[in-house]
Amino acid sequence: MTNVNVLFFASLKETLGISEYQLAGNFPMTIRAVKQQLSAELAKGDALLGVGIQSSIDYEFARDADLVASSAQEIAFFPPVTGG
Amino acid sequence: MIRVQQEDFDVAALYQALLVANKTGAVAMFVGLVREFAELPPDECTFELEHYPGMTEHNLQSIVDDAKSRWDLQEVRVVHRVGRLSINDQIVFVGVSSSHRAEAFQACDFIMDYLKSRAAFWKKETQGSRSQWVEASEKDKTRLARWQ
Repeated sequence: MTNVNVLFFASLKETLGISEYQLAGNFPMTIRAVKQQLSAELAKGDALLGVGIQSSIDYEFARDADLVASSAQEIAFFPPVTGG
Repeated sequence: MIRVQQEDFDVAALYQALLVANKTGAVAMFVGLVREFAELPPDECTFELEHYPGMTEHNLQSIVDDAKSRWDLQEVRVVHRVGRLSINDQIVFVGVSSSHRAEAFQACDFIMDYLKSRAAFWKKETQGSRSQWVEASEKDKTRLARWQ
């Protein structure tokens, strides 16, 4: 098992009630699998499975099928971005 | 140069920074502002911008690097504010200088389109005691597709 830091932003952070979480997982695993594990471990974790929730691995936007390597430093989940 | 900051920015100073003596023939600039979003008086409304420190700057640098690889640009400046803002406040500045106007116009448009969809910022509108996160627009996705 490896620990990876997971961050949450904006409405997702408010729904989950936390901004950060240490995830112990069997990496490499896909973003989809990370979402599923988090949804089981966190209160209101189902919010992670909602349509449109985006993710990043070490600051790069990721897709559900992308693999999180055991060397990854930080994963984040958030709703679609709305800057500008 | 890319900056993510709470404080306001000076468009005139940013314009000057885009100029390359004897070389610049065109400057295109965009400024985004907080517009009215509620029925309530502006002083009862606030606007907040959240970002992901580290990732946001990384996203903006990638977008600017991509623009520089597509067009022959001289200087690029991107400034995006975060934190609590009010109606009429400036949010974002994108400025591009080049020899000719076509490159400057296109690169400025491209950077804004990508910034809207591929940079880690989130807007929240508050009117009185009610708050809501701004939802991403389908139109922004369509605009992004123009460059792919």
